[in-house]
Amino acid sequence: MLKHKVLSIIGVVALIAVMSVLPFFVREYYVEILIIFLINIILAVSYRLIATTGDWTLCHVILMGAGAYASALMAKYFGWPFWMTAPLAGATVGLVGLGIVYPMLRTVGFGFFITSLAVGEFIRLSWIKFHNPFGGPRGMINIPEVGIIGSIDFYEAIPYYFMTLVITLVCLLILYRIDRSRIGKAFKSIYEDSVLAESIGINVGRYRSFAFVIGSFFAGIAGALLAHRLGAIDPHIFGLDEMVYLLVWVIVGGSTTFAGPIIGVAVMTILFEWTRPLMEWRPLFFGVILIGFLIFMPGGLESLVPKFTRLFGNRKASQARAEEPAGAKKSVV
Amino acid sequence: MELTTFVQTIANSVISGSIYATVAVGLALAFGVMQMANHAHGEFFMLGAYVVYVFYALGGMPFPLAVLMAIPTIAALGLLTERLIFRPTRGNVLAGFMATAGLTWILQVLAGRIWGLGFMKMIPTPYMGSATIAGAQIGLQRILIVPAAVILLGLLWFFLHRVRLGKGLRACAQDPDAAALQGISINKMTALAMGIAGAYAGVAGALMAPIHAVTPYMGRDLLITAFIIVIVGGMASIEGAVLAAFILGFIHTFVTTIFDATSAVMVGVAFMAFILIVKPTGLMGRVKA
Amino acid sequence: MAMFEVRGLCKNFGGLTAISQLNLEVEEGEIRGVIGPNGAGKTTLFSVISGVYKPTRGKIVYLGKEMSGLKSSQIAARGVVRTFQRTALFHHFTVMDNVLVARHLRAKGGLFRTIFGTSRRIDMEQEKKALKIIDFMGLSHLKDELADNLPHGHQRALGIAVALASEPKLLMLDEPVTGMDPTETQHMTDLIKKIRDEWAMTILLVEHDMKVVMGICDKISVLNFGKKLAEGLPQQILDNPDVIEAYLGGEDVVALLGGEEAVA
Repeated sequence: MLKHKVLSIIGVVALIAVMSVLPFFVREYYVEILIIFLINIILAVSYRLIATTGDWTLCHVILMGAGAYASALMAKYFGWPFWMTAPLAGATVGLVGLGIVYPMLRTVGFGFFITSLAVGEFIRLSWIKFHNPFGGPRGMINIPEVGIIGSIDFYEAIPYYFMTLVITLVCLLILYRIDRSRIGKAFKSIYEDSVLAESIGINVGRYRSFAFVIGSFFAGIAGALLAHRLGAIDPHIFGLDEMVYLLVWVIVGGSTTFAGPIIGVAVMTILFEWTRPLMEWRPLFFGVILIGFLIFMPGGLESLVPKFTRLFGNRKASQARAEEPAGAKKSVV
Repeated sequence: MELTTFVQTIANSVISGSIYATVAVGLALAFGVMQMANHAHGEFFMLGAYVVYVFYALGGMPFPLAVLMAIPTIAALGLLTERLIFRPTRGNVLAGFMATAGLTWILQVLAGRIWGLGFMKMIPTPYMGSATIAGAQIGLQRILIVPAAVILLGLLWFFLHRVRLGKGLRACAQDPDAAALQGISINKMTALAMGIAGAYAGVAGALMAPIHAVTPYMGRDLLITAFIIVIVGGMASIEGAVLAAFILGFIHTFVTTIFDATSAVMVGVAFMAFILIVKPTGLMGRVKA
Repeated sequence: MAMFEVRGLCKNFGGLTAISQLNLEVEEGEIRGVIGPNGAGKTTLFSVISGVYKPTRGKIVYLGKEMSGLKSSQIAARGVVRTFQRTALFHHFTVMDNVLVARHLRAKGGLFRTIFGTSRRIDMEQEKKALKIIDFMGLSHLKDELADNLPHGHQRALGIAVALASEPKLLMLDEPVTGMDPTETQHMTDLIKKIRDEWAMTILLVEHDMKVVMGICDKISVLNFGKKLAEGLPQQILDNPDVIEAYLGGEDVVALLGGEEAVA
């Protein structure tokens, strides 16, 4: 057990070291890719936290968008700096999550899924409809940069990358601690047997909300990071297709362990870049991958890492979970 | 709102509701029978439109015949989907839904490659001219959708309530275990349900082909609406789906006329949220005891 | 006043009357058996008391405070916990995790403590308490085993451990010895008595196995068709002609008269 822990820590440190030197060895184009990669990791891991209760949502990307819009608006119209707007964006989206979770909680499983889709669409449509303040279909442009702090210009890719890396690591640390805590256990117990959980004092509705609000908060942070990197956002980059991509990452990587979604983002980002020449065929390719994984490897890639790397997560749980198809309980609704 | 506009809007609402109903019943049926949540339902609709494009616009076949061609074609697609996607993922609703999301991408790319992107397919209108009611002009092409839908929905009702095979579908939806015990083959029922789902979505698309721009993405917006309808109607309830379809048809059309299309969808979502708060099982959903 | 009371309880499902005008009074420290033929409403009663269903009419009073219509989690917080007729467990959790998660209710410390790592002492305290319960139920050697992998008898024991971990004062056991062989059954019976004695527990017991019921119950309430048929000391129940008639015709009769275990 201790050996595993030491190996894990070494593994994580090694990864962080690699991620820290990587930007200096690749073209600038790839540094931008890496920034998006890190943002997607925050998105995927926060999504998975919600999913540990058994709630798979279809509104997570839109919540990231909400964070993007929130941060952009605060920076543009109040002139606040990034280090303020980012956490505030997170908090805003957390509150949005709290607001929308009520009708959603009335449903479970598939009903919940579709309700989250509809509610998400409502939010996205409001960005399209209300030119003031969201900019309508064209979105927002001229989002203030993070600016120059000390002698570092965060407009440059590499400084922004390192800022993103630090933020990502902090977010992952928090999410990890939550996942391993008794709150995280409570989330998972709801997925395992929600009636049993309720009978031993876990207020299922409250905990599902809790997971949703926490996940939303981090989606908001990811959105803020995205907005200030891109400089411009529009409603269409937060659509259903992008949401399904998120699902692909989590399904390909696996959702039982903490590291699963990270693996999924990594593998799919690489594939995404490799298939860039085949651009028109790309969605088809990913459709095939999605179907393939769901039918043949529902446990995701993480289920292929049984004995060796126990980076995060509970060994026995993930071994057992590997037998189960990814996603919510069977025959729910 | 003046009378002419009002009548026009009512007519459009009925027409919208008819299309929605035709699309939604297949979705509700598939879901009711074996929790098959078909994300590619919008693409079934889209391909139905392309069937008409191919047979009528390109091939010169008479329009009604081209529409009928959509039935076996998309039904076959439904059967394939059931066999290759829903059967291996049976028992896991989300897996089936996400896998058909993959299918959506596949079908969209294929349609785009085969028939090209960019230009919307312009399909000549087979029935030109319009009827005038209370000063409102309504295109014949659009009017005929209503009787078509009524016939289709009537046929479905008849099938489900008076034909043995159809009654088997309903039995399966109520209680698959009991149905199996009575000798009903679950696989046959799921295949049948998806076949019907495909056929109906396809016909709806075929009927819309001369009216709506035919693109590989024309099914996208419809999908969300279709699922909202099924949820509002009560997950597995066909009658509920039809009722919800017309309610939503009216909501969408009136709000679009008075405000705009974006607001219409938003109001539709708000309506769904309202129903869920007041009656989580939907308009005609049954609570499982 | 009795620790736990059911007053005039009725529960209907649509047109079906599952429980009708039921009254019950349970004293602190009692082991009360609730028996009756299949379909008599015993599990429904548990489900209503524990908040899975709302009463149609009537009241449930615990420690003088009304409890009817509360959520299961709130009822558990008040100290009333039930086990399930089905083997309800967190199947992919280890034995230890199963019990730990049930400590949730009683473990202090919120989100911030969790994130900023100062919950270590609390965690260790919880682990100790969990281990105590696991020990008590005889599962220590299996504590890191997946719940799914346990043999049936141990799974039922774990179910009770999970319930105990939330520190109830009123424990409702729903057919705890289902599917157990005579040795396991005896073992469980002794454990239940020990729970009452050592943990100051009041226990409601639904069970078909008459030997168990006669063996440990202080008092027995008999239900039939959702109504209370008889109530009294074990021997009184055995001799009660109405009770015998209710069971007449079923294999339960044999058990009732002290023969082999009833087929549930």
